[in-house]
Amino acid sequence: MPLGPSSSAVHIQGNTTGAAPNTARTPTSVTIHPVALFSILDHYLRRTDAQDRVIGTLLGTRTETEVEVHSSFAVLHSETSEQVAVDMEYHRTMYELHHKVNPKEVIVGWYSTGSNLNTYSALIQNFYSQETAPHQAIHVAVNTGLEEGGLAGVKAYVSSPVGVFPKPENCVFVPVPVELRFHDAERSGVDLLTNTVASATSTTSQPVAELEILEQSIQNISTMLDRCLEYVQAVLSGEKKGDPAIGRYLMDTLGASTEDLEKGGFNASLQDTLMISYLANLVRSQAEVSSRLALATAT
Amino acid sequence: MATSMAAALAASLPAPSAAPVPAAPTYETIPASMSKVIDIEAEIPLMIVQLDGMVVTKIIKHAREAPSTTAHGLLLGLDLDGTLEVSNSFPLPHHSGDDDEKSTKSVARYQASMLRSLKEVQADDSVVGFYQATTLGAFFNQTLVDTQAIHQDKLRHGGIVIVHDLSQTARGNASFRAFRLTSNFLAAYKKQNFSTTSLIQHRLTFSSILEEVPLKIRTNPLLSSFIGTMTEPSLSSGLDIAPATATNSTIPASFAALDLGTSGLTRNLEQIVDAVDNYRTEEGNLAYLSRQIARERGRADNYVAKRKEENQARVAQGLAPLPEEDIARLFKIPAEPSRLESMLLLGQIDAFGKSLGGMASTGLVKMYGAKAGSGTST
Repeated sequence: MPLGPSSSAVHIQGNTTGAAPNTARTPTSVTIHPVALFSILDHYLRRTDAQDRVIGTLLGTRTETEVEVHSSFAVLHSETSEQVAVDMEYHRTMYELHHKVNPKEVIVGWYSTGSNLNTYSALIQNFYSQETAPHQAIHVAVNTGLEEGGLAGVKAYVSSPVGVFPKPENCVFVPVPVELRFHDAERSGVDLLTNTVASATSTTSQPVAELEILEQSIQNISTMLDRCLEYVQAVLSGEKKGDPAIGRYLMDTLGASTEDLEKGGFNASLQDTLMISYLANLVRSQAEVSSRLALATAT
Repeated sequence: MATSMAAALAASLPAPSAAPVPAAPTYETIPASMSKVIDIEAEIPLMIVQLDGMVVTKIIKHAREAPSTTAHGLLLGLDLDGTLEVSNSFPLPHHSGDDDEKSTKSVARYQASMLRSLKEVQADDSVVGFYQATTLGAFFNQTLVDTQAIHQDKLRHGGIVIVHDLSQTARGNASFRAFRLTSNFLAAYKKQNFSTTSLIQHRLTFSSILEEVPLKIRTNPLLSSFIGTMTEPSLSSGLDIAPATATNSTIPASFAALDLGTSGLTRNLEQIVDAVDNYRTEEGNLAYLSRQIARERGRADNYVAKRKEENQARVAQGLAPLPEEDIARLFKIPAEPSRLESMLLLGQIDAFGKSLGGMASTGLVKMYGAKAGSGTST
């Protein structure tokens, strides 16, 4: 699941077999959890008028070649034409607070909004590289899509020094592919938000009955089937030229076997489900009766 | 001469700059349209709770990653005209309960320091309640009730508790519900009296401990536009690919709700059995205690009756009657046991039953759906 507009950057995986074992490898991919992304957007919303962009720290875990960003927090900083300052003490405190709750998450890099990389970015990158040593710090640039001409999207970079004498304010930001990733169990939370976005008032009320969600999915599938049917009929009657690729996709998707259902598995399973449903109702009514009886004993 | 000297001196001194007047705080007048919304004394009752999209993801993440099933944290936000807007949250560290005094202190320090830090980056820093993760809908427990009772005393509007059901979320329905303790329950709780008479007096059963506050989810416009961009599908560039990967989008549509698997059912049944067992033990304790009370009372009554007979005999013989007031000293009748625990357990059983029933009913629909699908294809 790539994030943001596609780029033409070529991602090269360095051959590190010859490298010394104690130098960490360059991360080749970055994944971001929705929490980190949404926190960044919230921080951007809450910036002061004087702030052009906001920055913060990314927390997560890293494997040999992959960096997983799990959460983020805002860090105070100020940028003027002469200097840039990052509140290091604040950064430390916040990291320690986060560390208490989630000891597995370590500093992996930093984020900023907007997509312009400048000298200050290099300086901040230098600071975070010290924090994440011996690993490389990653930089995630979130384009909120509010500036004109900018498409909303996320880009991730690693840095490498440039020049004969490496100076902190000089560095090359090398793009790294970035993906949105969340656990399967969190899927429904993201669905909930996409549904909220789709509604006219940007709000949805809770709690939703499970049957309602099921109904939505079934209706969704039924409209998709209708679309397929329409297309197939159009092809059959000669109105449209059939696309062999689509035909194959349809065959792959609809050719699923349903033999198990017909072999009597359905009835057995149905009885189990009904039994459980009766049991659930029985338990609930027993609990209700019991709680009423507790009130009646003294009278 | 003297005057010119003075003038020269004055000229050489730096001009007496206007003393730096501390900038008086300027109060903007509140527009008339907002004046009826001003609510300093928290008099407008809470009608609805509004949960920000970011908080939704934060709670889900914390609930999933927490080592125990009882992840909890604080909710931050503001209330405006009957709507409680929850705009941020942070998790509280999981304490293993080894050193109670010490862990409470460190949690309090953590909380204060987190609130201060959030204030510095313009985030909301007023606590409006807490959230609690649960599995299979059984969120009734002593800690939740205790914490909420403290909050309801201290916080503006009494605070709310948002309950997030992990297992329901895993089944494809992210569930958030907001609750408050009812005033009846709070009255009984303040007296720490959950005897049968008190329960009858306050009309308490497990269903009247908490009242639900309507809850809605809101995404701010920036988040909406961002998610909108992410859900847009784009054709992927590969030529020979499986149907599932033919289109690309950051958040593809999901059909997890249609999964036919019923893996959670066994666990749910086990939980019900456990809860019923716990309830039986608790009921056994209560019955034992009430038998003991009855026995002690019986002995006390016997003693009084005997003493009365004796006194009557003594009066008939013309002697002074013996005192009758020392019953309370002789017999210690135990206080009536608290029924709170058993009530909470019943609430748990009910919640487990409810989630089991819900699972069974959706299971039925899915099975018939699958059957209908297979029927037409053959």
